Amino acid sequence: MSHMTNPLATPDQLYQRRSFSALPTDLQDAIFFSTQCLTQAAGVLLQLPQAVAAQANVVLARYWLVEPFMSHEFSAVSAASLYLVAKLGPTPRSPRDVSNVYAYLLSASSSFFRSSSTTPPPANNPSSYYLSDGAYQRSHSRILELEARILYALGFNTHVSLPHPLAITYLQALDFLGTRKERIAGRALEYLNTALLSPQMLYLTSQPNALAVAAIYNAAKDVGAKMPECEWWEVFDVDREELGFLVVGMRSVEGWARKMREDIPRMAECMLTRRIVENEMERRGLHTGNGHGVSSAYTLDPEAELARKMDEKIAQIEEND
Amino acid sequence: MSVIEAREMGIAPSPRTFAITHQRPPKSFTGCSRITDYEVLGKLGEGTFGEVHRARSKKTGALVALKKIIMHNEKDGFPITALREIKLLKLLSHRNVLQLEDMAVEHPPRATTDKRKRPIMYMVTPYMDHDLSGLLDNPSVHFTEPQIKCYMLQLLEGLRYLHANHILHRDMKAANLLISNKGILQIADFGLARHYEGEVPKPGRGGSEPKREYTSLVVTRWYRPPELLMHLKKYTTAIDMWGVGCVFGEMLVGKPILAGESDVNQLEIIFDLCGTPTDENMPGWQNLPGAEALKPRPRPGNLQQRFREHGPQAISLLHMLLKLDWKTRVNAHDALTHPYFRLAPYPAQSSDLPTFEESHEFDRRKFQDRRNNLPLPPAPKGGTVGRGAFDNTGLNAGFNNAEGYNARNGANGGRYPRNRALPPVDERVPAWHRDRGLPPRPPPPIDHANGWDAASDHTESYRDRDRAPRSRGGGVARPDVDTYIPAYDREARRDDRRRPPRDDWEDRRHAPRDDWDRRRGVGVDYDDRSRASRTRSRSRSPIRDREHNRDRDRDVYRR
Repeated sequence: MSHMTNPLATPDQLYQRRSFSALPTDLQDAIFFSTQCLTQAAGVLLQLPQAVAAQANVVLARYWLVEPFMSHEFSAVSAASLYLVAKLGPTPRSPRDVSNVYAYLLSASSSFFRSSSTTPPPANNPSSYYLSDGAYQRSHSRILELEARILYALGFNTHVSLPHPLAITYLQALDFLGTRKERIAGRALEYLNTALLSPQMLYLTSQPNALAVAAIYNAAKDVGAKMPECEWWEVFDVDREELGFLVVGMRSVEGWARKMREDIPRMAECMLTRRIVENEMERRGLHTGNGHGVSSAYTLDPEAELARKMDEKIAQIEEND
Repeated sequence: MSVIEAREMGIAPSPRTFAITHQRPPKSFTGCSRITDYEVLGKLGEGTFGEVHRARSKKTGALVALKKIIMHNEKDGFPITALREIKLLKLLSHRNVLQLEDMAVEHPPRATTDKRKRPIMYMVTPYMDHDLSGLLDNPSVHFTEPQIKCYMLQLLEGLRYLHANHILHRDMKAANLLISNKGILQIADFGLARHYEGEVPKPGRGGSEPKREYTSLVVTRWYRPPELLMHLKKYTTAIDMWGVGCVFGEMLVGKPILAGESDVNQLEIIFDLCGTPTDENMPGWQNLPGAEALKPRPRPGNLQQRFREHGPQAISLLHMLLKLDWKTRVNAHDALTHPYFRLAPYPAQSSDLPTFEESHEFDRRKFQDRRNNLPLPPAPKGGTVGRGAFDNTGLNAGFNNAEGYNARNGANGGRYPRNRALPPVDERVPAWHRDRGLPPRPPPPIDHANGWDAASDHTESYRDRDRAPRSRGGGVARPDVDTYIPAYDREARRDDRRRPPRDDWEDRRHAPRDDWDRRRGVGVDYDDRSRASRTRSRSRSPIRDREHNRDRDRDVYRR
């Protein structure tokens, strides 16, 4: 049985997705990252176990490997994958709950995506996330439509094998490297959860055992644990090259995310929508050859702010249509 | 250096590269096939619920069976039971377990603007020529002892694999065992299967470790072990082994050996065969919830006499499989090493087995005429199947389109069983749900909180209390619709989830008929019955029922 392994992305698929998308790669990455964060946040609010949210992350990544980003609203794909995975597991959530949670997370009242340091927390305004019957019906049918799409795209490969339990087992085998259990195990799990957000799609390029070993390696470095002198990762069927790649991949997520927030300031304000991405594309189109100097070109003057608000309004109206 | 590069440069690949080239291709994101990838050759079975088609893959040329999953515009999306079954099947790989090869999608023609037209999903499995039940019904087929041994070995191998992988099949029966003309037997229909917790069976140690409770409303009645009939919930892999015993006996004598008419009757005939339970042969039986009211007349059991013509080894194996005590009932490991398989006549090789005329529903009708005259014992198929998490009417509605199927079961289950020759297998539906005269049953629970099933106790207890979702017979009768789908029909039993409420409505609406039915003697012939059922079918509106059902679901949802 293939309980312990996942279907992986083929190099071809990765290359195609990367190179033939209409979107510049940094936008692709930003969309991926923020949608995965949204999925995690929704998982928390829906009181789903992290295992479910993590599997939803992986399912979402699989879907986006083969389907273009822009064909559906990002938050809707996130909702559908979370709904689907929850339904498969021991903790199903009704479409109503899922819709409510996403409505809240995407509303102006939610502090999600707003950096706490710069802005005060938004006022809680229940009417901003009230879901009317009509809006719920639309959200409901969108979730179900996307659920079917996800299933087709994945060829019904909904089984996701997570590295988290493996990491604990490996740590037990390693006697927790002589450190306090909670400390090193907690750190390893943090790395695994962070890796879910990585636009490198680590869960689609490596099997769970490799992810687990890399997370342990990173955690051991962080807590200053002494690892065996030998090439211990080989015991867990991981070779040095893959381990090195994953170690760097996992460590880089944090810095990368920080930099991206600087580059695309909208990310720090709200969940990316298709409308925002389209605007961003347009803006870049205007400033040809300026693809890298995003932050310098993009200054928040009052006029731009107003334009942004109008865009959002339009997006909202379209969303409701 | 990539493998291709290495090859081009004529360098012998390193062991690692070699391993990579030869590993199984990671099944990945290739998505589903299109129905146009298959050349549909004809129906294997049909009901209004959907169809099973025989088809040829244009890619590989292989014959396959396509089973339709109808997607309704349902509030919970893709039917959860189908999802789980697909997920489970995708994880399994064994020559004696039916493989899910692919999922195929059929898009409604673009021309239709009907928004309700949903894409249709098909489950693609290899085409198998027969199911065991159909084969045994085929009057021209007589199993030889080497052949029976061969099938038994394969069945046990498949079951050992499932059990070793923490899977309970929970619907072991002849109709779910598919047989190809190459002599390969495969276990099919995982609609009821679930993952179990605890230790797997070990040689010499009986069943798996009873770790937690599951729903006891599983397994078709004729194949249901005594501990389930007495509502043991912490059951083990031993429940599947009992089914193997029943199938074994069925192969020996050519017809089901324990064809009970009701749950009570089922226990009675089990005791007839295996003797009454005592503290020695079934320790702890008196503590089972279903044993309280049980005061069986003591008798020794006639297994020995009934099967004496099949030799002492067969009887010995049968004894081990049909052991009342589920804790010491033989497991698949040990059954495989039984001397029965090591003594002459030796088991046949699959390749040496004779081939037979296909035994599928359409073909099967051929036999009906021949067999109509045979006064065979009542042949209900107790599809009294509890579905656990699968009892999710709402969730499965998409999968169901139940009317046709139920109809079928109604028509046949209620009435045909007096005459086994009539559409066999799936039609063996007991009329007991009527016999019991229960008050209207509550709708089956939507156990949303359930994992595979039974994860939440409240639904379980709820169900047990009401004994609700057990019935299966007596639905909308539609004699015009063909009703037998050989074991490809996982939907068939899924439909049952819809059944209970429908039963009741029917009972209420057709109370007089119901009585009539009960009083009806054995002598009623086919025509009478089918006419009766036809009348009944006209009086019902499937659509309305579904709506009704849905409302009920919603109520449950709110609870």
